[in-house]
Parts: sequence; structure tokens; C-alpha cells
Amino acid sequence: MYATNYHRASSVADAVRLKGTGEETKYVSGGMTLIPTMKQRLAAPSDLVDLRHVAEMKGITVSGGTVRIGAATTHAEVASSAEIKAACPALSHLASLIGDPHVRHMGTVGGSVANNDPAADYPSAMLALGAMIVTDRRRIAADDFFTGLFETALNEDEIIVAVEFAAPEKAGYSKFPNPASRYAMTGVFVAKSASGVRVGVTGAGSDGVFRHSGMEQALAGNFSPDALSGVTTDPADMLSDLHGSAEYRANLVNVMARRAVAAAT
Amino acid sequence: MQFDKPATTNPIDRLKVVGQPVHRIDGQLKATGRAKYAYEWHDPNVPYVYGYPVGAAIAKGHIVSMDVSAAKEAPGVLAVVTALDVGERKKGKFNTAKLFGGSEIQHYHQAVAVVVAETFEQARAAAALVRVEYAEEIGAFDLKDAMKTAIKPKDVGGAPPDTAVGDFDGAFKAAPVSFDATYTTPDQSHSMMEPHASIAVWDGEALTIWTSAQMIDWWRSDLATTLDVEKEKIHLMSPFIGGGFGGKLFLRADAVLAAFGAKAARRPVKVALPRPFMVNNTTHRPATIQRVRIAAEHTGKITAIGHESWSGDLPGGQLETAAMQTRLLYAGENRMTAMRLATLDLAEGNAMRAPGEAPGMMALEIAMDEMAEKLDIDPVEFRIINDTQVDPEKPERPFSHRDLVSCLRLGAERFGWSDRGRPASRREGNWLIGLGVAAAFRNNLLVPSAARVRLDHEGVITVETDMTDIGTGSYTIIAQTAAEMMGVPIEKVVVRLGDSRFPVSAGSGGQFGANCSTTGVYAACVKLREAIAQKLGFNSEDATFENGEVRSGNRSVPLAEAAGSEGLAGEDTVEWAKLADSHQQSTFGAHFVEVGVDIATGESRIRRMLAVCAAGRILNPITARSQVVGAMTMGVGSALSEELAVDVGRGFFVNHDLAGYEVPVHADIPHQEVIFMDETDPYSSPMKAKGIAELGLCGVSAAIANAIYNATGVRVREYPITLDKLIGGLPDVT
Amino acid sequence: MSKMHIKLTVNGKPVELLAEPRELLIHVLREELSITGPHIGCETTHCGACTIDMDGRSIKSCTVFAAQANGANVTTIEGLGTPDGLHVLQTMFKEHHGLQCGFCTPGMITRAYRLLQENPDPTEEEVRFGMSGNLCRCTGYQNIVKAILAAAAELNAVKEAAQ
Repeated sequence: MYATNYHRASSVADAVRLKGTGEETKYVSGGMTLIPTMKQRLAAPSDLVDLRHVAEMKGITVSGGTVRIGAATTHAEVASSAEIKAACPALSHLASLIGDPHVRHMGTVGGSVANNDPAADYPSAMLALGAMIVTDRRRIAADDFFTGLFETALNEDEIIVAVEFAAPEKAGYSKFPNPASRYAMTGVFVAKSASGVRVGVTGAGSDGVFRHSGMEQALAGNFSPDALSGVTTDPADMLSDLHGSAEYRANLVNVMARRAVAAAT
Repeated sequence: MQFDKPATTNPIDRLKVVGQPVHRIDGQLKATGRAKYAYEWHDPNVPYVYGYPVGAAIAKGHIVSMDVSAAKEAPGVLAVVTALDVGERKKGKFNTAKLFGGSEIQHYHQAVAVVVAETFEQARAAAALVRVEYAEEIGAFDLKDAMKTAIKPKDVGGAPPDTAVGDFDGAFKAAPVSFDATYTTPDQSHSMMEPHASIAVWDGEALTIWTSAQMIDWWRSDLATTLDVEKEKIHLMSPFIGGGFGGKLFLRADAVLAAFGAKAARRPVKVALPRPFMVNNTTHRPATIQRVRIAAEHTGKITAIGHESWSGDLPGGQLETAAMQTRLLYAGENRMTAMRLATLDLAEGNAMRAPGEAPGMMALEIAMDEMAEKLDIDPVEFRIINDTQVDPEKPERPFSHRDLVSCLRLGAERFGWSDRGRPASRREGNWLIGLGVAAAFRNNLLVPSAARVRLDHEGVITVETDMTDIGTGSYTIIAQTAAEMMGVPIEKVVVRLGDSRFPVSAGSGGQFGANCSTTGVYAACVKLREAIAQKLGFNSEDATFENGEVRSGNRSVPLAEAAGSEGLAGEDTVEWAKLADSHQQSTFGAHFVEVGVDIATGESRIRRMLAVCAAGRILNPITARSQVVGAMTMGVGSALSEELAVDVGRGFFVNHDLAGYEVPVHADIPHQEVIFMDETDPYSSPMKAKGIAELGLCGVSAAIANAIYNATGVRVREYPITLDKLIGGLPDVT
Repeated sequence: MSKMHIKLTVNGKPVELLAEPRELLIHVLREELSITGPHIGCETTHCGACTIDMDGRSIKSCTVFAAQANGANVTTIEGLGTPDGLHVLQTMFKEHHGLQCGFCTPGMITRAYRLLQENPDPTEEEVRFGMSGNLCRCTGYQNIVKAILAAAAELNAVKEAAQ
């Protein structure tokens, strides 16, 4: 690994200040993506600002139907949170499927959302739940946040402080994991609320996480797996790699969507 | 000791310790994290520094120039040693690819330099600063292309590449039912948990090296050759080894780099190969293309059986002997086998657990299933109909002991084989359910093995042999053997392994380790018994060793007393004479598998597995069972997920780590059962045991493939059986 | 890069050391502190051989900088039991033959230790999923699962007896 400097931020403001100090400073939270990337020398930050100890970025609150999850909350905490299990069990379920127990103990919501890996789980939930990504300076709707593979609307030094969403009436998540990495080969999050049905798909799209408008329309009138029978997913928009062809992924999107709807509570 | 006659009754037959479910004697050390593996031979007084390898970035060609100036100036760097610095080296006897030295590049990630620094991260960072200019040449990386120019080697490990009996072509054409199909198996990675690692310490011309070697003497000899030092000057140790599966049979680059690095830095140096090097720098099981042809009468009697196999390796390398078992497994008057070697410029192909039989059975045992279906005969019965008690190529040569039929019958009964239905006939919710069977077969190999056994004044027996324990349980079965032979409780036995100062053993490989190394210990114990009897004036023939005493007539003497203050020792080597020529020695079994295949995604899940094994005397049912269960699990990976993907343009394995090479995890493996046939084989050794560790793998993947076919009606002949190969043939869900 | 002053509690003992910011916790444990029970198997956060317990959570110490762990309470296999005083998990791994080559074993047991705190009475399936971050290439997992279930039963029996 290349040499780097380490700073531990005590507050969000402190983190932003520290971000300005080095030549190429990166925020690190759980480090579950960044550290392996650094080992492979695909990233060589001059400085790291550790966000894991920022109190403002921690904790889960549910009030008046609004769920707020601090960005430094780990996947394990989301998976085991009684509040989240009550407000949106599909999200607990999603968190419980990420990586393995060790990864869930370190990895954080904010890190996953900010990294926007095309096979990460959270972005699909953020899209489907119509979440707001709350940063140190603004609120960004999930629809505007995920802009492409590993790309987001965040500015260079902007920090995600929390994610917020209204608890849905019903939601479900179904994922087909890669057997080795446990990343989603396809993951589909469906959420039904007063304003309609939203479907977020991760792991499958060639441009990263996306909303499946065909499915959303089909489910709006009839929120049941059978409503998806006539809906197609175009393989031309799908990823194709060692683990599965575009055609296979297009099939998986439909299968996972049906299972997510069937599982929705 | 010459083992030249079938064994008669001997002290092992008492089975007070041998054959008993004795817990591993190294369990305590391993469960507390105190077993010391190669990379952690910590001596606080030795200031170790760290070597990090640099691998070639091309697959074939030459190094034109190397610039190490930036690396040498990097913080903490003590030495940089390049392949050009050390120049052309003699290659070890057991290596195909050269490990280090000279300008020629034979494969991707061949070691071209080692950077030694004060800390690991300094070495790793500086290694990235080594600049190499290459002259790249066009290589061959695709077996499907290279097989067209494959050659027929002179011999394959002492056996002919081709065999033919009767008139295969004529019989195949004339038969009322015939079958002809081609199967492929991919390149596979041993993927043992411990990466190759070495610590090298020079004292003048003498080298001490801790490493992770299955074969101590092979490594020591080949290291001496590669470094051009006297073998006697090298002290090599591997007391604990974090798995091998064949990946640590032969000298590897970590030992060579550590030795050169330590010489240059004038400090003890430790080098571990990074996980990706384990794939592209070391060895792997080579891919095969296999054609199997079977012809039979309507009764199921095979009249012709043919098996051809193609695999690739670097020039001067070896082929994967995938047709070998077909020479022995089933009857049939007309037969042929042929194996061909293509040139590939990938990393060296070499032995991985059950070389030859593991991929060979993957093909043959699907073919048997397909042929049974064509004949409309139950696949268990089809195999039984074609059992043979003699080598079918040389009928004058019987098997020493062969109980394949009982394995199949008992397994079928225990597994509930009669519940198996027609293909794609059983569904539970989203899951299509199927059962599959395959025979298991692996030869029993015999390798000389020596040991030294000492008795001290406290009555403690110390066994010393350079045998290794790669997880198999060598420590434990050797202790059991010595305890049985000397008539002492196992607590009175100390076993010291994996050290080049000890007598040369069979080592760990080819499932010969257990039988051969314990026989070496048996022979040494016979010598020690003679020494004790002689000292006491007993006739060694009628001396009894029991309860810590030696008894003759009405006189008995405690062993501690017999040892005296000086102690006594016995040392011997077992040599194997011609018994294996007159009698074919093999191990047999049957694998039964139940799978579920998700009708919508094509995902296959194993539901239950059973192996019935006939492998001579089982020296320790706990360690033996664990070997078989572990092998079955490797067979699950081999059937469903394990494949090194070749970049046929650039010439390397792409998925070179555990993020991309998919080995089974806890959640993939369900209920597994193992049954051992109660048998002994007096032709194998005085232990009457045979190998078991590889038998457990041979046939498993085919049983899974056959179960998937039974579940889905989709026949996949290209391993691994991934979802995309199944999905097209599954019934429409909606 | 200047070294950082790092304080840890390792197996109940306070330790202080200097480490570069890029140094991984596993290397500091093994090379600086001679705690070699946790092993390095894959370096890509998959195999779990380097599993330790940090502030009450299982983590893979090959994917955490020592600097991130500054101030943390770390338990390794060495802190769970000794050859003369085995933790019940260690006893069960030994008795149920939940190990072969032993390389994955320290990480396996350390993860199982935390799993049984998270879920003291797991089903077989919960054990298999709870252990999914730890690879073993030798045993086929059967005996590991058995050992963990046996340890859970033993620990629960002891707890009940105490009540």
C-alpha cells in the first residue's frame, strides 16, 4: 500500500476541515471498499479522515413515520434495530444480507450510499423508498443522487450525515447474491406508499442502480407478483460479466422482483 | 523393511489404539492458535524483515530491462533482487516452470524480483516501483485451439499414454446401444487457506528455512539445485501446514525468493505469496476436454469403452491423466484410452487432490449415467453389472480387494435411492428435486517411507520422520501406530514431523501419506522392539509389548527400565516390492447426492450427500471421515462453482482470489454422511490400510451433475454447472 | 510518513505501539505484538482467517487500519483460552474435530465466540449463515457446525445451572 496519513474526525465540521488538508484526502468509514482498493493500489489517498467516531452521524430514529439513519450506522446495527424492523422490515432484511457478519460490523450506510457500487444493496432501497440523502450542507433526493457507476451528486468534500425516508406501507427486498463476494448479482427493492409503488434494482443495470418504471406501473394497480407477469426487462440495459450474462440478469430482475413483492410486509 | 508378501497377523491387528476414534493430538495447539505455520515462526531474537514478490506482467516473452532504482530508494528498502541479478538457475527436478532467474518469461506472474524492506507495507509499496520492460511473444492460452496440435507423450508417470484391448472401433460400431459425448472440466485452484510462505535465515553457507511444504525432501533437494548449494547445508522445516491439496508438493517461489532476499539483505527474510500469486504463480489443476464412448448390449453389459483426454501445460510439462481410471473401473472386452498433451503458456498445470481421477471421474461418471438412461437401466445396477474383480486390461491381474458393489448397494439402501423418479418429475415449491449417483475410484499408491523411533528412560516413545501433516491427521495416526506397536498409551508418544533432519518419509500426496508413513513408523518400531528384546536378552519373536511393558515368558520389564539412561532407538525404511505388479491396489466408493434446482434462477443447492468408502483399514475413523467430508465439499465446489477463468487474449487466470474463485461456504453445505466398509487389505501394507483423502473427491461432482439432470432434465457436460448453463432448459415459470 | 502512537487493549492487556497509518491491524498484531493466532489467508476480506473481536464485534483485521482501531478493545484467539484452560468453544472444536489444517481455526472460533453472544441458542441454519464470513477448505464445515452447536448447548446448560 502507498503511504497515507490518518485523521480521526470528532465532528462533521472537523471532518470537512480535515478533508481540506491533504493533497488527495478521502473519507473512510467502515473501509470495506476503500481499504481493499488501497491494497490493490487502485486508490492512493494522501490522507484518510475517519468518520466512524462522529457522534452526529450515528444512531437510528423513527418519529412521525419518518426514519432517519445516521450515515455512520453499520449494516449490523440496521439489521438488528428494533425501530427499523418495525418501520421497514425490508430494510433490516436488506442489511442482513450484505457481505458477511464481519463486513456488516464495519460497513456503514453512508459509505455504501456514497460509494454507489453498482452491486451494492442500499442504493436500491434508497431509490425505492424515495429517500432523502442528508449531507452536511443540503438534502438530495435519491432520484437525483445516484448518477452512474460509482458516481453520485456529492461534491468533493461533501459528507453524507444521514439518510431519511418515510416508512412505507409495504416493502420487500429480494437478492440473488454472487456466491463468493455476496454482492448482488441482482437485488430488487419494492416499496408501496400512499404516493405509489417504487422499484429499485441493483446489481443488474449497466448504468448502476435504477428504477424499473415498467414494474412500478404494473404494481401501482395491483401490488402482487402476478402483476409482473407481462413486464419485461431489456437485456440491452443489463450488465454482462463472468458471473452472468445480460439475458440471465434480465431474467433475474423479474424473478427477484416477484419474490420481493411476495415477501413485502 | 521390504514389504513383499501380503501381511499376516501383526501387533497392529490388536486395534487397541489404531482404528480407534482418537482425537487429534494437535487439536489443542490448533484450537488455541498456537500451532506455528511458516510465516509466523516467531523468534523474538531474530530481526525478520519482509520480502514482497514482483510478478511478470506478460505471459510469454523476455525481460528486456529492469529499473529498480526507485524501488531501492524507497523508504525502508534493504535489497532488491531481480531475476536478471540471479541469472539463469538450474531448475528443480519436480518443477516444470522455472521459479526465478534469467530473462525468459514462461507465464504471467512468474517471479521477476523480490523487494526486501523493514516492514511489510514498505516492501509492498516498493515492489510497485520496480519497472520492467518486456519483449512480449505470442502464447497459446486456449485449450480448445491448442488441442489440435497436442502431442502424445512417451509416458505418463510411468504408464503408457495409450492403451488398447480387443477391437474397440469394431465393437463400438456393432453394439446395439452406444453413446459418445464430450465433456470439459475447467482449470481449478487448490485454494488452501494458508498461502505459500517461507522464512529464510542464512548462517554463512548454511540455510535454515521454515516453509509450507508437503514433501520435505523434494523441496530441500530442489531448493539446493535452484540455489546451487549443497543439500546438506539446507535445514528445512514445515511442522504445521495450512492445507495443501497438492499445491505445496513442489518447491515454490516464496522459498527461493526468501533465500535470495535474505542473502542480499543479510537479514532473515519472510516472504508470503499474495493470494493472486497462488493462482498465476504456482500450480493449478489443468482443464481437460474428454471424450467418452461406451457401447453395450441391451442387458447393460459393456462391450466397448473408450476414454480420450486432452489437457495442456507449459513445454516440458505433464498432462492431466484423466483417462487413467477408465483402464480399471469397469469391465468390457474392447477398450481404449488415449491422453494427449497440448502446449499452453499459462502457469504450470500440476497435481491437485486426486490428479487424473478427479477430473476423469467427472466425465466418465456422467457418461455412465447417460448410458444407463439410454439402456433404461438403473444407474446403480448398470455399474454393478459391469463390475470386474480383475484389471480389465490384464485379466491375469486381480484387484487386491475390491468392493465397489457393496458400496453401491449399501449406499442405495441408506440413501433411499429407490425414491428416485424420472428426470424433472419432482417439484417442491420453487425447487426441482433430483437424486444422483456416481462410483468413486482412486488408486492406492506406494512410496518408500522412513522413520526413527526412540524410547527414553521415562518410557516415552518419540517418533521422528519428515512426514508432514497438512491437516490430514498425520500426527495422530502416527502416534496411534507407535502406541499400538510399542504397547503404550498414546499419551506416551511424542510425534515430531516436517523437519529435514528426520528420516525421509513418503510425504503428503496422492492419498499415499497415511498408509505409507505409518508403515515406515511400523518398520522403525519393529527395529526398536528388536533392540529392546536384544538388550533384555529376549527373543524378539515372542516378546509382547503391552501396558508399557515388554514381556517374554514369565519375565516382564517396564519399557522405561528397558531403555536405561541412554535410551534405545530403531530406524527403518519401508520399501515396496512387486506386490503392486501382481495385484492392482485401488480404493472404491459410491457417492449419492440429492439436489434442488431453483426453477426460476437455475440456482442449484445440495440437499444431502452420502459417501460409502471401501479403502482398507480405517486407521482413525474421526480423521478419515473428516477427510471424506472435506473432499465431498471440494467436489461440490468443483461441480457448481469452481473455475479459473482464462483470459485467452492476455494469458492469465482472471479470478485469482477468493473474491472471484468461488469455494463453498458453510451455508452451501448441508447434511453429509460417510460410511466406511469394514475391510482390510493385506496387500497394501502391514497396516492393511489404503488412502482415503482423495477417494472422497473422485466421483462427487459427477453425482451432483447426475442429480441436477434428474432434477431438471437438463444435461450439462461443461463444468462447473452454473445457472446460466441450466436456465435455458428449465420449464417456463410463468 | 510519520508513525502514529496507538493504544489498544489486547486480550485484556493495555498495549502501546507506533505504527504507520497504512499498517493493517492484522500486521500490527502479528508482527509487532507476536499475536499470531489470527492468520492472513486472502487479504481481500473474504476468508475470515484474520477474524478478531473488536469492541464486541467480529471484524476481519486484514481490512482495518491499526489507526482505526486506536483505543479499541481487541480479543484474539489467544485471549479466549489457553492450552491448559480451554474456552468451551476450543474444547468443542477439538472434540468434534472441527479443524484439520487449523489455519482457519482461530478466526473460526473467534467468530463463533461472538456469534454465540449475538445469538446464544442458534439453529444449525443460523450457525451456517452466522459463520458465512469464514472459509475452510479442509473440513467441509460439518464438524465446525457441530462444535459450535455443542458449545452453545454447553454454555446454556452452565447458564441454566447457575440460575
